[in-house]
Amino acid sequence: MYPAPIENYLAPATVQEALKALGAQAVGEAQFIAGGQSLMQAIKSRLISPRTLIDLQHVAELKGISAEAGGVRIGAMTRYRTIAAEERLNGAYEALRDAASHVGDRQVRNRGTIGGSLCWNYLAACMPPTCIGLGASVELLDTKGEKRTLLAEEFLRGPLETARKETEILLAVVLPGAPPKSGSAYKKWGLVTDALPVVGVCAFVEIGDDGRCRRARLAVGGLATGPRRSKAGEEALAGAAAKDADAIAAAADRAAASTEVQADMWADASYRKRLISALAREVVATAFARAQARRPA
Amino acid sequence: MNRTVSITINGEVYQQSVPIRMLLVDFIRDVAGLTGTHVACTFEGVCGACTVHLDGEAVKSCLMLAVQADGHRITTVEGLAVDGELSVLQKAFNDHHALQCGFCTSGILMNAAEFLKVNPHPTESEIRSALVGNLCRCTGYAHIVDAIKDAAGRTG
Repeated sequence: MYPAPIENYLAPATVQEALKALGAQAVGEAQFIAGGQSLMQAIKSRLISPRTLIDLQHVAELKGISAEAGGVRIGAMTRYRTIAAEERLNGAYEALRDAASHVGDRQVRNRGTIGGSLCWNYLAACMPPTCIGLGASVELLDTKGEKRTLLAEEFLRGPLETARKETEILLAVVLPGAPPKSGSAYKKWGLVTDALPVVGVCAFVEIGDDGRCRRARLAVGGLATGPRRSKAGEEALAGAAAKDADAIAAAADRAAASTEVQADMWADASYRKRLISALAREVVATAFARAQARRPA
Repeated sequence: MNRTVSITINGEVYQQSVPIRMLLVDFIRDVAGLTGTHVACTFEGVCGACTVHLDGEAVKSCLMLAVQADGHRITTVEGLAVDGELSVLQKAFNDHHALQCGFCTSGILMNAAEFLKVNPHPTESEIRSALVGNLCRCTGYAHIVDAIKDAAGRTG
């Protein structure tokens, strides 16, 4: 497989230059390329045949993780490798490290980026459900200089669909501030080690001084409808403690029961529901343990 | 459409006008003539045979365009030996007979060489996890894992 001819290749150094390059092309004819670990496959299989490629590799302002007032900001061009190694994400945002450290393989993690994954929103991807589970937002800037912020769950639609307009660039993923006693976890199940997820589940829990869950978030990926929150599962976790294995199992079952799943060559519908339930139990337990762990402030 | 690129491979600069759609692996094999970097799956980016170092980090050269490597430094398997002397990792592969047909070997060497820089004292489980992106259909990986473990011991 080989790409169709590409007429133009641009490698801007700043966001402003990238948007200028985008604005100079007819709408839909230019494509941003981040790490390219999904996009190059799509280009080689000719699923897409962009006339112009705008490579974001030199845009330094899109890279890196920084603590912000009340949260954490992750530049769109931050690689899985960097996220997997970032200890400041431990606890509340640790699900992102779980997810990033098992995407594809080492070579993919050396190039692939969080922003690329979200903008591609492949059905079997780990970043989309993880960002939804963490209540993350995304920042977008358009060619006219207008900025907007959307929740990940608003941004991510069906597979390969997002709310990004053709005139916009994704700047960053912003994780909301989290109280000290909160924890998160992500786990996927695939056919072989670190394979694309047939199902992936992300859990976030915030606990009170009594150790009981005050707020929970659950999100599921690997769905034909796109990554989704399971509000039924979240509600069922309210008031549960880490030791309430029955309550956690019941919440996981509710999450599975209330999620619309497809049957495909990787898993039939009933098996997918079993996977959602089993993974949810595990990630909720891990999220509780991380919420309870003592960490330096 | 063509673009002139300047890519340093194993210390040598290759400056050439190439089609924008040319894959980096084809630049390495066809323009630079360095055929130690292999192509097995060609499409999905799943076999790892084309793994090279981009500025010191292991990447799959079939998942990049040559124009994206403009101005960067590439190392291929031909660049591992210094003055004809095999690297410690290459010697360990030789000693442990860590290959049969050899088609996957260059990609595995490039991945493992960078892996050992990041994690000089890996456990067996870490070595196996690090090999997820490289398919070998002959060996069953046992000798490859042994060789990487041995190389870590020799350099550590």
